[in-house]
Amino acid sequence: MKRIVVLFVFVAAHTIGFAQETEDYSQITKETLNYEEYRVKITRPPYGLEKVLGLISRIKETEDENLVLNQKDYMALSLREKFTYHMIHPETYSQNCDATPPVPESEKKIFGQLPDGFNDFSWSERQGKFFDANRDSVIALMSESINRSNRVGINYKRAIADINGREMIPLLISTYNKDHKDKDILTLLMLLMKNNEYTPFMTSASYKKLYAAPNQESSYRAYLVGNTANEELIIQRATAFYNGLPKKH
Amino acid sequence: MGFLKNISALALLICCFYPVQAQDKSSYILVPKGSYWIGKKQHGFNPRRQVTVDSFYIATCETTNRQFAAFVAATGYITDAERRHNALVFLPGLKEFEWHEDSTACWRFPNGVSVGGIDQKMDHPVTCISYNDAEAYCTWAGVRLPTLEEWEIASRAGAATDYFFGNDRSLLGQYANIWHGRDHLKADSSDGYMYTAPVGSFRPNPWGLYDVYGNVFEFCSGKVLADESAAIVHARGGSWWCSSASCSFFNSADIGRVNRRASFSNQGFRVAKR
Repeated sequence: MKRIVVLFVFVAAHTIGFAQETEDYSQITKETLNYEEYRVKITRPPYGLEKVLGLISRIKETEDENLVLNQKDYMALSLREKFTYHMIHPETYSQNCDATPPVPESEKKIFGQLPDGFNDFSWSERQGKFFDANRDSVIALMSESINRSNRVGINYKRAIADINGREMIPLLISTYNKDHKDKDILTLLMLLMKNNEYTPFMTSASYKKLYAAPNQESSYRAYLVGNTANEELIIQRATAFYNGLPKKH
Repeated sequence: MGFLKNISALALLICCFYPVQAQDKSSYILVPKGSYWIGKKQHGFNPRRQVTVDSFYIATCETTNRQFAAFVAATGYITDAERRHNALVFLPGLKEFEWHEDSTACWRFPNGVSVGGIDQKMDHPVTCISYNDAEAYCTWAGVRLPTLEEWEIASRAGAATDYFFGNDRSLLGQYANIWHGRDHLKADSSDGYMYTAPVGSFRPNPWGLYDVYGNVFEFCSGKVLADESAAIVHARGGSWWCSSASCSFFNSADIGRVNRRASFSNQGFRVAKR
């Protein structure tokens, strides 16, 4: 049997060689690479940034490459400083397959999912609990930062999705409308509608294409064409969704 | 050409009928020296291209708990997860790509003590080991991890398609232990296994390799990007956790990445001879 397998491997290798066509695979353009870089940029909150960066650099110098700031130093941080720490220092590892490769012409696409922003790291359970437990403060701090920088870093987008920050929809839309560049803001709007099971979105063709196609390669790579009609439709739906939310008194 | 095609078809036929139970779990196949096409058109990390490799022997199965236990018994080796208590495990109910850090999990208890040990799973692939741990095993066993290119050549078994069996994903369940649920909120054991399966439980590829897709992600040596961090390593083939709706890396084109110290319960390896 081993001989047959070896023979087959040999034959198959030659068969492949004969059967290959010369393919001219398209290159990812510089514009796409720049946009991919832009997509995964995080926002560094200003609150105690220098102090927090100092603490993080000391963590990384420890013998065993610890990932987590020790409890004493952590507890000594103010809430704003803790927010900065969590936003820039994920404490645990991330899974193998959450980094999707650059997609040709990604700058012209509205994806169904957000990109990965922390490479081989991700937020720990304690960090997720911090965002949940301090939801209102986290939303206020992110809003302040977005208003100042006109930018929603990938860490902010992920946090907004995680804490279901639907109150931020108007700010997200106004930020997107400033330059119509960051199409992941539109992705975030769709994720908020999806996570809240907003019926007009859940029954839409966009939802089916992005999140519910049974034979689609993977919803994590699915996208809509980034044209004006799709942009306007997403914004229109997200606005209607926001307007229908129960008002806080 | 006609003769070669006939021989290929015959060999493929023989391999397909080769009984699943009969494989030797510690055997290797020889991949001859030559030029092979790998990658996928328009794939950002793995574009279609021709590579030339020397001949190499690659294991037909993933490294098992039994094999890793022999290494630990001989050396007293302590894995990263045992020292750092930070293995990442899965329990149904977690959102997509979420893992639970379990201080009790390690290769002996791949999803934590509460889920149980490996006493009845010695023929399953070893998991909850880091890239560093896999390298330590290889040093002891006198083997090595396959390179990214070698893994892909062996996994493709001559195919230019996403899978060694073509592009029809619906056939995957015959060849791979994967997650068939729409999400990970509910347990999925529809293929007989929620977590790992004994190596060689599914049909092999035409060259006789088992579990090249699914079961566990398999560490490979080599870099995808020239400037990537030394802490980042790569693994291929997807795992029992991977599903069509989320991570669909159970194919011959995608390349996963993970920190070299990270220990996941869907991460293992297959070896190549030195």
